[in-house]
Amino acid sequence: MSTDIEQRTLLDVKDLEVHFPIRSGVVVERTVGHVRAVDGVSLTIDAGRTYGLVGESGCGKTTLGRAVLRLEEPTAGSVWLDSTDVTALRSERLRRFRSKMQMVFQDPLGSLNPRHNVEMLLAEPLKVHGVGSKAERRRLATETLDAVGLPVSVMERYPHEFSGGQRQRLGIARALMLRPDLIVCDEPVSALDVSIQAQVMNLLDELQGEFGLTYLVIAHDLAVVRHLSDRVGVMYLGKLVEEADSEAIYERPRHPYTKALLSAVPQPDPDIEAGRERIILKGDLPSPANPPSGCRFRTRCPWAQDVCAEEAPVWREAADGHKVACHFDF
Amino acid sequence: MALLEVEDLRVAFGDTTAVDGVDFHVDQGRVTGLVGESGCGKSVTSLAVMGLLPRRGVTVSGTARFEGVDLLSLPRADMRRRRGSDLAMVFQDPLSSLNPVVQIGRQITEVLERHRGLRGEAARKEAEDLLDRVGIPDPRRRLGEYPHQLSGGMRQRVLIAIAVACAPRLLIADEPTTALDVTIQAQILELLKDLVDAEGTALLMITHDLGVVAGLCDEVNVLYSGRVVESASARDLFARPTHPYTVGLLGSIPRLDLPIDEPLEPIRGSIADVIRWKDGCAFAPRCDRVAEPCVDGEPPLIGTAHAHRCVMAEETV
Repeated sequence: MSTDIEQRTLLDVKDLEVHFPIRSGVVVERTVGHVRAVDGVSLTIDAGRTYGLVGESGCGKTTLGRAVLRLEEPTAGSVWLDSTDVTALRSERLRRFRSKMQMVFQDPLGSLNPRHNVEMLLAEPLKVHGVGSKAERRRLATETLDAVGLPVSVMERYPHEFSGGQRQRLGIARALMLRPDLIVCDEPVSALDVSIQAQVMNLLDELQGEFGLTYLVIAHDLAVVRHLSDRVGVMYLGKLVEEADSEAIYERPRHPYTKALLSAVPQPDPDIEAGRERIILKGDLPSPANPPSGCRFRTRCPWAQDVCAEEAPVWREAADGHKVACHFDF
Repeated sequence: MALLEVEDLRVAFGDTTAVDGVDFHVDQGRVTGLVGESGCGKSVTSLAVMGLLPRRGVTVSGTARFEGVDLLSLPRADMRRRRGSDLAMVFQDPLSSLNPVVQIGRQITEVLERHRGLRGEAARKEAEDLLDRVGIPDPRRRLGEYPHQLSGGMRQRVLIAIAVACAPRLLIADEPTTALDVTIQAQILELLKDLVDAEGTALLMITHDLGVVAGLCDEVNVLYSGRVVESASARDLFARPTHPYTVGLLGSIPRLDLPIDEPLEPIRGSIADVIRWKDGCAFAPRCDRVAEPCVDGEPPLIGTAHAHRCVMAEETV
């Protein structure tokens, strides 16, 4: 959430595709097919805003986030940050450009080097990018620790000495060290306990205001995404099925999959739970190597018709700023 | 009489106390929740009741009476007979609870042979019926498959089929849907609800998710640092949360039914900020209402139907 200044598009993802080859064969490996993890996604994020990407495991949301940072090589499409095409950058220029875009990972313990103390962890991105002298790096580290709510006294400590919530604060601090424009947060709170999740979400909120950050938040928890995001995109099998402002998508979901997702989230209120009508989806996610014809959701959609198998629905604007890929109006 | 009555359960691993005097009961045909965050002792409590804790280095005291018989003092052989037939358990991670190199069918018939004496085609037929009951399509084919060939939701269904194979009177489910996607979670919760309704099985639901509790549980026990801090009917607990920890948990959850800019009110600190229950309230270091009486000895359980352990509650609520 943030205040309106002037609206400027910071991130522009155009028709992005990431396909992974499936290889088979004992002596000679051949490519026998492709997992279409991300299969033509376009989205934009305004500077200072938060875009929430939701979907279930295997929908391609993490691959999309990684492809934005060029941690995965896109198969097709482009990613523009400001006026730079990230997908066209090569070696040294890409490495230097990465200072503008950072990532916060789900598992803070797995993403922090256990043999580095906090000072080394925080100084490393600065060293890699040749920023400042040792003293300046220490000053920046102190400032950043303060911003994420950790005392300077932790500077000599190692990752294993921290609790899960504190480690996530460290992960965020490290992403902040280069004062990036964009931070991709991949499941930033899902590994944390409920009471700690709220602390970290509030922290992300505060930091956005303080450092003018733009977030791409990737999460499976719809309530978390709603709380953090200005705009929300719902992904299914490598494609966006719906996108709208956060308020609108929860008030009036227009895609059957979004409806089913929302109806499946258990609410901490017995009266709501007793009264609600759940849309229980049949079966499991189909394989992204061999997605269904037409609309990819049709095999699990309670309202599927013949046309859904024949034609892929177009990505259309169903209401002002509310996009959906479905043949029907719900 | 309650089906399961746990009193003053304590479990210590060496010098580390995991469960520090837990009391709760489970009634026939009801769903009872044990709720809390990591490290609160909810899983250890269930393992103690099932007799699944290792003997070496673990001290267990207190009682867990199942239809009047204390499970904690039963000889191992007796407990082994009861496990699977009287009480059964469903774990969080179905992949590591199923044997990866044994066909699904064999893993189900094993239980049927041991506890119900079914063999051969009879056992196979029964296994097929069980898979059908838990909603697995084409069960005959699935019997010959291995766990890795099934999706996460299917595996959890298999685990539930094994657990209900001998019609246990008490089913313990430890975070059965935590590893699953939300649409699959909805399927599994629906299945558990149906089983409880159809068979009158009592369900002890262990979870960190208050949404799951609200949808499934009749009674709720909230655990903090190895002890129950509040217990009530689900309706009462959500309508009048009384212990500051329960209040804090509810304030930490972003909710879909509240305005979008509703701020979250997290609990400060972490579970590492703790004092021993015998010295005072373990939650005191993180509590906003903390006062002198909170750190003046063990807080008593106040109330009966809606009980809590906060000495400050009456003055502030």
